[in-house]
Amino acid sequence: MATATHTLDNGLTVLLHSMPEAPAVTVWVGYKVGSRNERPGITGATHWVEHMLFKGGGELKKGDIDAIIGRLGGKFNGFTDTDFTIYFETVPPDHLDTALMIEAERMRNAAFDPQETEAERGVIISEREGGENNPKVLLFEELWHLAFHAHPYHWPVIGWKTDLERIRRDELYEYYRQHYAPNNAVLTIVGAFSEEEAMRRVAAHFGPFRPEDQPAPSGVTEAPQEGERRGVIRRAGTQDHLMIGYRVPEIAHPDTAPLLVLQAVLGGWHGVGLLGGPFVSRSNRLYRGLVDAKLATDVGAQHALRRDPGLFVVEATVREGVDPSKVERAASEVVEKLRRKPPTEAEIARALRQIRVWHAYDRDGPTARGLLLTWFEVIANHRFLDDLLERCQSLAPEDVRRVADAYLGEDNRTVCTFLARREAG
Amino acid sequence: MSDSVRLALDNGAVLLLHEDHANPSIAIRGSVRAGAAYGAPGVAECAARLLFRGTTRRSAAAMSDAIEDLGAALSSTNAEEAIAIHGRCTAETLKATLRLLTESLASPALAETELEKVRGEVLGDIRAQQDDTRRAATRRLSELVYSRDHPYGRDPKGDETSARKVRPKDVRAFHGAHYGAAGLILALSGDLDGKTLQNTVASAVEGLDAGSPPNPVRAPKPETRKSATIPMAHKTQADFVAGRVAVARSHPDYYALNLANLLFGRIGLYGRLGTTVRDTLGLAYYSFSSLDARLAGGHWSVSAGVNPKNLVKAVQAIRVEAERLEKEPFTEQEIRDGKTHLVGALQVNLERNAEYAGALHDVEYHALGTDFLARYPALVRAVDPDSVRKKAVACFDPTACSWVVSGPVAGLKLAF
Repeated sequence: MATATHTLDNGLTVLLHSMPEAPAVTVWVGYKVGSRNERPGITGATHWVEHMLFKGGGELKKGDIDAIIGRLGGKFNGFTDTDFTIYFETVPPDHLDTALMIEAERMRNAAFDPQETEAERGVIISEREGGENNPKVLLFEELWHLAFHAHPYHWPVIGWKTDLERIRRDELYEYYRQHYAPNNAVLTIVGAFSEEEAMRRVAAHFGPFRPEDQPAPSGVTEAPQEGERRGVIRRAGTQDHLMIGYRVPEIAHPDTAPLLVLQAVLGGWHGVGLLGGPFVSRSNRLYRGLVDAKLATDVGAQHALRRDPGLFVVEATVREGVDPSKVERAASEVVEKLRRKPPTEAEIARALRQIRVWHAYDRDGPTARGLLLTWFEVIANHRFLDDLLERCQSLAPEDVRRVADAYLGEDNRTVCTFLARREAG
Repeated sequence: MSDSVRLALDNGAVLLLHEDHANPSIAIRGSVRAGAAYGAPGVAECAARLLFRGTTRRSAAAMSDAIEDLGAALSSTNAEEAIAIHGRCTAETLKATLRLLTESLASPALAETELEKVRGEVLGDIRAQQDDTRRAATRRLSELVYSRDHPYGRDPKGDETSARKVRPKDVRAFHGAHYGAAGLILALSGDLDGKTLQNTVASAVEGLDAGSPPNPVRAPKPETRKSATIPMAHKTQADFVAGRVAVARSHPDYYALNLANLLFGRIGLYGRLGTTVRDTLGLAYYSFSSLDARLAGGHWSVSAGVNPKNLVKAVQAIRVEAERLEKEPFTEQEIRDGKTHLVGALQVNLERNAEYAGALHDVEYHALGTDFLARYPALVRAVDPDSVRKKAVACFDPTACSWVVSGPVAGLKLAF
């Protein structure tokens, strides 16, 4: 089935993808607002707003969203990223209208009750502190912080704790009213539903909303990196970790396709969705060079698909008794080798097949498909991923070597190490 | 489950199929009753991790290349009772994927070089767990609830000492004794039909040796209430977990207790517990309860991640919520909502092949009957509301729970 696109008069983009035999229908709404829209002082506001949008408003009282979806046996959640904020409900097919009603109230009528906002401050700080407990989360935060000096990717999506302690309810509400508007959103319905009836209900729920002028993007362009940057976190712990971030272009850049194939060759492929499963790739350069060599216990490579130039991240957990600098050298050698000599035809064939087949795994079921359609419509367009993965299929080994050489150089990287102090406990 | 197919092979393996051609992929979910309960500490963990790392016919590298060249995926993870097998492939690659799966089950190399790599991974995982407030607390709670004398009380990974001691001959002996087809379940969902199940899947699996049928795990005995503190001064957040022995999946009280647990600490954003601890008091990002019902027994637990300065208040709030179950039992409306949730969730959760294969597997694993998915709504609707209230009060009694707190909590005085 093809995906049908509609646009309401108020600018709301609607994607409909029918799966008549599905046992469920999913409604996703994505907003073109993420932590990249924040400024110093209100870091974490996007994520906090997301939390507030589960607390009622309009026809919905506090706790109603949980209760309504709960009694239907549905799934629901929200996610905030650097480039977008996204919500969904997956429910039995005869409850599509309920999901649409919830999303409509969420778009324009959220309550932002002052007492609830204050209670949520504690929840969000707790979420941040849970992340601080994790060495890899700390290291990831440090990596992006060092790699970007000016661009909002400099701060974490959850925000700095000092901002979370300070932000006022009115700042959040203003931020919400500015960005949560039909002309800044994408609504996706996937599953068992009638398209005609669905569009009637979408128009009834969302049609009355007026568009809002959207503020111009910050326009901050990160200056080119002119030399390696390094960061170290020394803290009590049990394992050392290494992360290397290479500055790479934005998703719309033509080099995104070869960078994805490079990711597969370097660190294996697990699709682009959130439902990769418990699988470990062992047929990749980093695994062979670091884990098989007994230097690391796990490795990974990830080309982040971002609206603005971002990072290609190589990471490893250092095996006990191994000097982290040895792991860094080995990872650098793996990368350097790919910069000098293209991957083999067999490696490319494997990578391309994995990318093609995992695209099917990624789209299994209405919820997973709804996520991909909405996510890519928000950061590019909903056909972008299909086109991108198709473009990968025509790439040759030299295309992969070229982007490795262009972006994975020493002067273009930030190296962060978590050195665990074993004595504390 | 009316549209599903079940095939019991002569060697004892059971195959299950759900046909769905909406997505051009196949999800595989299986298990072998070769968990940590059946071996010396650490051996089952290494055997599970070594499963797809080479066979007598191909090296570890050749095996991973063969799987990944297909665009397929196969993995195995160890637990207390069984190892779990997960797989993905397409109709086109099903036959080749199953050949690699059965070759791995029948004749894994269990080579020393791979065991050394696995040993490093296990040690790394044990250390990561020691440094993770939530995992460390949860692990310790299992020891308190079941005691280390019972397989459910021991870490399926073993400990650092056992991980260092495992030898290839231990793993080979364990594999020979426990990886027979008699304890094998394979559920497949997706782009295949009954004919393929018979011709491709059954023909790949029927060649496996039956081996011995798995012995049952003995039932755990309730332990006396205990508590433990795991100080981690370098952490920002503390984790609190409390729990006690509950029921096996086959116990007649399971359905009432499952509904009670749903209402107490799961439905919506964590039920009554989440409403109070997270939503109203703003003390924690997560605060929920779990019912872990296995073959021979199970346990109920409650968890919360909290800033140390809020810990006393959060633990008190959890206790008050548990005690409230007697004074303010679940209302008729709550129980109605819980029942409709369970029925609706079954439908919604079967939207993906991986989930459908998982559901088919679990039905077989717990011997719930081939018509279980069809009967499930009636089973849920028939649960007596008074039984739900009584089981909640009896099982979620904080004074009967063992508890653990981990994180920057040295010197903290805590009671539950």
